[in-house]
Amino acid sequence: MKRSYLGVALLCAVFFCNIFFTQKAVNAYYFEHYRMVIIYACCNLLLFPLAVWIYIRERDVQ
Amino acid sequence: MEQDNKRDNNHIPFNEDNYTHNIRKNNERKLDRRGFMKTLVGAAGIFAVSTLPWGTLAAKELTGLKNKSYQPLKITDINALQVGDAVEFSYPGEHDSALLIRLGENEYKAYQNACTHLKCPVFWSKEKDEMVCPCHHGIFDARTGIPTAGPPKRPLPEILLSKEQGAIYAIGVKRYET
Repeated sequence: MKRSYLGVALLCAVFFCNIFFTQKAVNAYYFEHYRMVIIYACCNLLLFPLAVWIYIRERDVQ
Repeated sequence: MEQDNKRDNNHIPFNEDNYTHNIRKNNERKLDRRGFMKTLVGAAGIFAVSTLPWGTLAAKELTGLKNKSYQPLKITDINALQVGDAVEFSYPGEHDSALLIRLGENEYKAYQNACTHLKCPVFWSKEKDEMVCPCHHGIFDARTGIPTAGPPKRPLPEILLSKEQGAIYAIGVKRYET
């Protein structure tokens, strides 16, 4: 069977964004940019359904 | 791994009679592509949950739930307080003694003057230009409230001031950051 590694690559990108947003959120908190903290936290929250969607899409193709 | 499964599934019952066909687990720790993707999805979930506390703390700060409101209180008239002098008052409650110091012509500082060591009242020493706790000789810098000598380790809580119509008013207590 031909495997597609697109999902793996996309999920790696999602993972990278997760690390990025978490780091940014914590930093913004300590610099008291509270609005940015909320924005980054929301981004992180939105990444989870995205990751689930990427996984399900990849699984159903097989 | 796929081939292993196929072989087993095609021989039911297995052609061994010792029921040990399932002890071979050579590949049980192998992280295949799908397992890796599942791990990443789980990680995304954990990251999402882990930023929630930061988000709530930030939301709390934004909505101002942590800022208490205080009644303004007139401390003294400016004429009654010479440069370099201090006056005692109590704020916000009647048992929270505090100290207003006029450091310069237009420089006022006020602190709750319970020493952060053992709550002795701190006095303003005009000669030494510092705040002194007589109990154990704790010294505080009058400009910042930071302890400079002696046992106290934490700064005095600062009181926010405003100047209106020739009088000094206390309008709040600065949020205490340890």
